[in-house]
Amino acid sequence: MRVPTEWLKDYIDLNAPLDELAHKLTMAGLEVEETIELSKKDFASAGGSGTRNEVIWNVKVTPNRGDWLSMVGVARELGPIVGSRIRMPSVDVVSTEPPASELISIRIDDPQLCRRYVGVVIRNVKIKNSPGWMKDRLIAAGMRPINNVVDVTNYVMLELGQPLHAFDLRLLHGSQIIVRQAKEGETITTIDGVERKLERDMLVIADADRPVAIAGIMGGADTEISEQTQDILIESANFNSTSIRRTAKRLNMVTESSYRFERQVDPSVAAIAAMRAAQLIYELGGGEIARGAVDVYPVPVEPLTLTLRPDRANAILGTSIEPADMAGYLNSLEINTSIENNILRCCVPTFRSDITREIDLIEEIGRVYGYDKLPMTLPRSSMQGKDSPEGAFRDKLRRILMSCGAQEVLTHSLVDGKLAELAGKADIRVVVRNPLSEDLDSMRVMLIPNLLQVLARNQAFGTSSLSVFEIGKIYYRNGDGEIGEKLSLAGAMVGSQWRRAWSLPQKALDANFFLCKGVVESLLDGLGVADARFIRTENPLLHPTRAATIVVGDREIGFLGEIAPNVADTLDVRGRPCAFEIDFELLMSVTPDVLKYREVPRYPAIYRHLAVVVSDNIDYHEVEQTVIASGRGLIENVDLLDLYKGEQIPPDRKSLTLSMVFRSLERTLTDEEVNAVLAEVREALIRNVGASFR
Amino acid sequence: MGELEILNEIRSMALRRILEATSSAELDAVEIEYLGRKGELTQRLRQVGSLPPEMRKEFGQTVNRIKEELVKAITGRRETLAAAEVSMRLKKEAVDVTLPGRFYQIGRPHILVETLNRIKQIFIGLGYEIVEMPEVESYKYNFAALNYPEEHPALDEQMSFYITDERLLRTHTTAYQHRVMEKRKPPMRVCTLGKCYRVDAVDATHGHTFHQVDCFTVDRGITMADLKGTLQQFATEMFGKQVEVRFRPDFFPFVEPGAEVAVTCTICEGKGCGVCKGSGWLELAGAGMIHPNVLETAGIDSEEYTGFAFGFGVERMPMLIHGINDLRLFMENDLRFLRQL
Repeated sequence: MRVPTEWLKDYIDLNAPLDELAHKLTMAGLEVEETIELSKKDFASAGGSGTRNEVIWNVKVTPNRGDWLSMVGVARELGPIVGSRIRMPSVDVVSTEPPASELISIRIDDPQLCRRYVGVVIRNVKIKNSPGWMKDRLIAAGMRPINNVVDVTNYVMLELGQPLHAFDLRLLHGSQIIVRQAKEGETITTIDGVERKLERDMLVIADADRPVAIAGIMGGADTEISEQTQDILIESANFNSTSIRRTAKRLNMVTESSYRFERQVDPSVAAIAAMRAAQLIYELGGGEIARGAVDVYPVPVEPLTLTLRPDRANAILGTSIEPADMAGYLNSLEINTSIENNILRCCVPTFRSDITREIDLIEEIGRVYGYDKLPMTLPRSSMQGKDSPEGAFRDKLRRILMSCGAQEVLTHSLVDGKLAELAGKADIRVVVRNPLSEDLDSMRVMLIPNLLQVLARNQAFGTSSLSVFEIGKIYYRNGDGEIGEKLSLAGAMVGSQWRRAWSLPQKALDANFFLCKGVVESLLDGLGVADARFIRTENPLLHPTRAATIVVGDREIGFLGEIAPNVADTLDVRGRPCAFEIDFELLMSVTPDVLKYREVPRYPAIYRHLAVVVSDNIDYHEVEQTVIASGRGLIENVDLLDLYKGEQIPPDRKSLTLSMVFRSLERTLTDEEVNAVLAEVREALIRNVGASFR
Repeated sequence: MGELEILNEIRSMALRRILEATSSAELDAVEIEYLGRKGELTQRLRQVGSLPPEMRKEFGQTVNRIKEELVKAITGRRETLAAAEVSMRLKKEAVDVTLPGRFYQIGRPHILVETLNRIKQIFIGLGYEIVEMPEVESYKYNFAALNYPEEHPALDEQMSFYITDERLLRTHTTAYQHRVMEKRKPPMRVCTLGKCYRVDAVDATHGHTFHQVDCFTVDRGITMADLKGTLQQFATEMFGKQVEVRFRPDFFPFVEPGAEVAVTCTICEGKGCGVCKGSGWLELAGAGMIHPNVLETAGIDSEEYTGFAFGFGVERMPMLIHGINDLRLFMENDLRFLRQL
């Protein structure tokens, strides 16, 4: 809100430099966001007098302090800073007969939504331009001067915070004002020329026949003040903030009036504001003010009396402020406070609707005392801090994956729903009802599509060697439609995994299924997960014959594979990307908390190689299992050295060169022993997997 | 020529040949020629029986002396030659040491995750327990339990993405407060970190998704001075000793008294610059004493217990520390950016 500082001086003496006052106001909670200087030229070009300069503060009013949305409100906040009280504008009118009550009747149908309605009538007003001083003040406050009557309603709103509206009295059917909810099918054309459909629970001001204003938001064009207007009705009413906010939102309207009502207007000020407006209209446009306002105020608001315990205030603030000083602070904010038996009795003025209990008064004491003077301590008791189990595990995973060469990334959870379709999970995705745009309409169901997008984007940026991983939430609906979310871990890679590898064979460097599997195996190895198996699978994201689930014990914890060509195409990833995704919690559950020490072998090992030729449809896993099972417990490790297919063996067979480590934990093995075991292994391989040997 | 003279002749010749040998192979040949089974000296020794008895002793001794001498000479020469050969081989193996090294691409942490971890460690050090909380929240936890009245203008700052009438993406990590309070009993000192979402157009300083940290404590005798001290401690750990913390009144429905927390601008050290808009201060966090309504809603006696809470955005910190000027960089994952930090 714009606060013209010259105008402010009507209500309070600014006895210090403006910079200093702005700073103090900011430190009291009413932030002066910027200071604007309007020149004579600025005033002139906006239609003002052009005879003065003015410094204007732009203040940020927090949503709880509707009372700050006026000159008087800001002046009040300056009270404790400059050490004086404000001067309210004097309201002194000469009224005429007949009384207003004979010229207009006012009825409130719904006192819940309209606590008070004050109507003042002025007849035979001359509608014309406002004088320069009035125009200047409105311009300084950021409003456009219109005519003397409308200007006065705006002026009083800015001065006292009470939104006003002026009707052309002669255009009100039946000389009647009814505050009621809109009826089915009613419409109104507001003064901005827009015809608006009203809904049943919107509060309107109606005359005998039709709505003439949307209560607290905007008046209607039909009863608007025009050059022909002679008699006017000034509305100074108080509307329910929730109702105004709902209606304004539904109609997509924000006005100076609705903005104030949403933030609460003091019902007590309605009558003063009405008479203040009448006085100013009389001064600017003559006419006759009808005696007495029509004031419908079914349940007048009373000031709230609260008690405040000084000990409690000090206990909250961590201070030792004297009760008398506390009372002084509150009094400086017009909260009349007395001390009885060391307890403060505080009478909260009706304009401070934000103060409802003791703690609110404690904040006021803190504000006036100054937050900057509060001491700095630490809580007396000490507690043991700790990371969440997930957080600690996450860090472990990050370390391992980074050491595997993967760059950590962080992608959006709000994504295009098409990614879920790609993953074959459109049915379980969580959809946002009010997305920013169509391509941000869903929560991600999986991390891999996001990572593929990262690969594609980086390829477009010219980075072709890529390995990335992310640990983050994925979101889903379960069988009952319940929304769930869980942590997931995924990695994706494409291109060379070496930063620099001149003259090395490209084929060995590029990411492929086995390099990707190697990362997963390194991860499991790093965690101490021993019994992982990889089983052929199908997945909409993956190459139909290069995809595997990762099984630990009897739990499927994730999957890995080469990305299906159509998926890579859709997401614009070049090359042959590979990826894996693992359920974070399942992985955590199969990871041993503590790794147990196994004795380091003391006896020497004997190493043997064996080239096993088997049919193409025999899995390596089967061969390996056969070797281990037939090894009499003496084969410590089997590893694959080479996979060969080619001229030297039949076309439908492959040769697997195995490296075997023989070792006993109890003795030194002899060559003869190992040869005997190896013979058994060969026999078992012939028997179980139809092997021949090279 | 006497036999001994012949021996001397052989000795001289052999020594010369040893010295003249230019490779191990040549030297081996010389060795065999003189000392081998059919070597000249070996054969001479076999002749000893055909000599007159009075000569045998001297002859034998001389041959053996010469043999020892030759063995020693050969060994010496062999060492010399071997050293020369190694040095020759190594010379041939010369590489251009200025050729680039071959190395595996290393993985780096994401700067935001790293910042979150740093923040986490500071709060763990201050006695906070980190808890994991959902991002898809209910209106109840995100707003109602935090003392937001229905249809309050304070909601304007927290425009939400809704999934259903009741379910929304959390607009602040503060949403976890009531979840924790309804499950635990004081004393509590907890912290959560993570993604938050607000309906906000995306530009260099705004995004629909951002990361927040939220901490709160509830105990007997917690004061606003404790809050101030805690945040000063945090700021010092995070930004360094020279940083001061400034409190000024602000409004958040879930705290009372409420405060906006600022720290000395880390760019200009408080002198005033473009980043802090000349004020010398940077807004850091929203904070305050937990509103008694919030405690009471969770069934905590607000007379016996008090608490403080604060929350802040994370992106701003690495932006300040590393001079990053566009928020979008964090989630765009351009590796040319990520690999720098």
